[in-house]
Amino acid sequence: MINLAKKDIAHTLGKFIVTSMGVGMLLGIVLIMIGVYRGMIIDAQVLLNDLKIDLWVVQENTLGPFAEPSRLHEDMKNTIKVTEGVAKSEGLTFQNLQLPLEGNEVRVFAVGFDPFGDISPIDSTKIVAGRGLERDHYEMVVTDKTGFKVGDKVPLGRDVYSVVGVTHGTVSSGGDPLVYVSLKDAQALQFLYSNARTRNDRERGINALNSHMINAVVATVKEGYSVDEVADTIRTWKHNSVYTATEEKTLLTKNLIKMASKQIGMFTVILVVVSTIIIALIIYTMTLEKMKEISIMKLIGLPNSMIIKMIVQETLLMGVLAFMFANIFAHLIYSKFPKRVVLETPDALVLFVVVILASILASFVAVHKVMKANPAEAIGG
Amino acid sequence: MEKNYAIKVENLVKHFGKDDTLVEVIDGADFSIEKGELVALVAPSGAGKTTLLMMIGCVEDPSSGTIWLGNEKVYENKWLTKETRKIRREKIGFIFQAHYLIPFLNVIDNVTLVPQTNGVPQKEAESFAMELLEYFDIADKAHNMSSELSGGQNQRVAIARALANKPEIILADEPTAALDNKRSVSVVQMLKKIALDQNVAIIMVTHDEAMLPLCDRILKIEDKKVVSEVVSENGGMI
Ligand SMILES: Nc1ncnc2c1ncn2[C@@H]1O[C@H](COP(=O)(O)OP(=O)(O)O)[C@@H](O)[C@H]1O
Ligand SMILES: [Mg+2]
Repeated sequence: MINLAKKDIAHTLGKFIVTSMGVGMLLGIVLIMIGVYRGMIIDAQVLLNDLKIDLWVVQENTLGPFAEPSRLHEDMKNTIKVTEGVAKSEGLTFQNLQLPLEGNEVRVFAVGFDPFGDISPIDSTKIVAGRGLERDHYEMVVTDKTGFKVGDKVPLGRDVYSVVGVTHGTVSSGGDPLVYVSLKDAQALQFLYSNARTRNDRERGINALNSHMINAVVATVKEGYSVDEVADTIRTWKHNSVYTATEEKTLLTKNLIKMASKQIGMFTVILVVVSTIIIALIIYTMTLEKMKEISIMKLIGLPNSMIIKMIVQETLLMGVLAFMFANIFAHLIYSKFPKRVVLETPDALVLFVVVILASILASFVAVHKVMKANPAEAIGG
Repeated sequence: MEKNYAIKVENLVKHFGKDDTLVEVIDGADFSIEKGELVALVAPSGAGKTTLLMMIGCVEDPSSGTIWLGNEKVYENKWLTKETRKIRREKIGFIFQAHYLIPFLNVIDNVTLVPQTNGVPQKEAESFAMELLEYFDIADKAHNMSSELSGGQNQRVAIARALANKPEIILADEPTAALDNKRSVSVVQMLKKIALDQNVAIIMVTHDEAMLPLCDRILKIEDKKVVSEVVSENGGMI
């Protein structure tokens, strides 16, 4: 049996492919958008996963240290350490910084930790150049996205830091590149003011602020103890809030997922609808161009089913081609985005199903036109 | 039914519009055409020739009357089958002034489209189509597109298409209007041969007096009725 769709497409192949490519680019953006969403969720968890700890202790009644600001005294880490069931504990600081790089500013998220402590936020497998922190002062480990290299000097606050190590794939929950500094340096950067400000404050009778502050204490739990029970024990002492690693992860991702899925979902829906309308318009136009032939086919006795099959097959093929171009396009450009874009096969498969359904929907207008075509008009004019 | 009638029409009426806009085109046509007959349909422009042909071809709805195609009564004040298109693709071949080939199909696909739709296997349909194309001296163009053929070549392909489903009836609406005199004569002679060889009833609308002597009989639309005339003797065969 002659396949009308195949013959018709072969007759206008170039046009058909270029059109599919155009629709494919739109759908490629849909894939990228979903990839951005996936990337955000993954980014949100990188730091938490690298830490490999069980408990977060933060300022009381806060959702800190990421969702809300949190401040604790540094000695809290010692109090936690001696708690029944706790194996290790350390104090950490978190802050946003702007680092100067070749005349520009790089926005980074800095993690301060004790280089000689029990818990390190640096996953050593992610170090791609240099080493971790080995001194208490003026050393810095950066992630490769910042653009710094081992040996670079970075003036920051009152001091100049040396880049001693470079990590790959480490970002803050907001997707900013991470840098790591010693806890002491971080405290100086976060809690100490400039000399002028300190002098000024002193003259006004305000004493220099205590710099022994941290944003959170993290802890691991000894084998044989339940994380939840240890968390409950710490909770009973007031003046702090405690989250298990799972709870902290939920805190970070829940809001994000809620916000981002709405935002990205809207874009995705709009793009899919626009793509559907475009496919529908193209197929409708292609059908209008063939109206004469369609009337003739009806006149010489071809059943509607054959003509409708042609239209629907053409629409489906356009959908499939567009989907293929979408994937090629998305894979070509996704790595060029500044933040993480994660293309996942299941997402692509869902989009494929959506595109097929959209194509079938898109063919309806043209099919309706075919059904209404009058064979008697074939020979008119 | 009477023997050998390919087409029989009784009291066929066709009007367009209603009330103020009512146009009566055919008002009670009675005639029949035998198998193997080549009949010319002659009337002034706008008299209803195409309309009559399209009613016989189950394309245009009559207003009332009866139509038999072969032994099958297909219309009696309404279509007696929902599948008028099935009748068209199985029993009727259409030829028009323009070739109306499908532009995205090549010659052989155009010719085999209807037979293949009727369930004839591709190989069989194609070998019969090649026979027809050879008969019309155009077999070398079997795999060309219609846009690569001349007007006369396309018209011959269109005639081959009309024959490809081995129809009982061929309805030809001014098939020679776009051709020069020599080609017109050869097309009508071809139709005459087909009518005889394949026992097909052919109605051919024509304005060309020169074609009439080649036909077996002439139908005229006069005063909204269809009248039959024999071909005048002085015509004869060329
Ligand atoms: N769809 C229609 N609606 C109204 N009038 C029509 C329609 N089709 C044809 N007619 C009228 O019917 C008459 C016969 O038309 P037609 O069969 O095309 O004539 P012919 O083929 O003999 O030139 C004409 O007067 C034409 O205006
Ligand atoms: Mg006409």
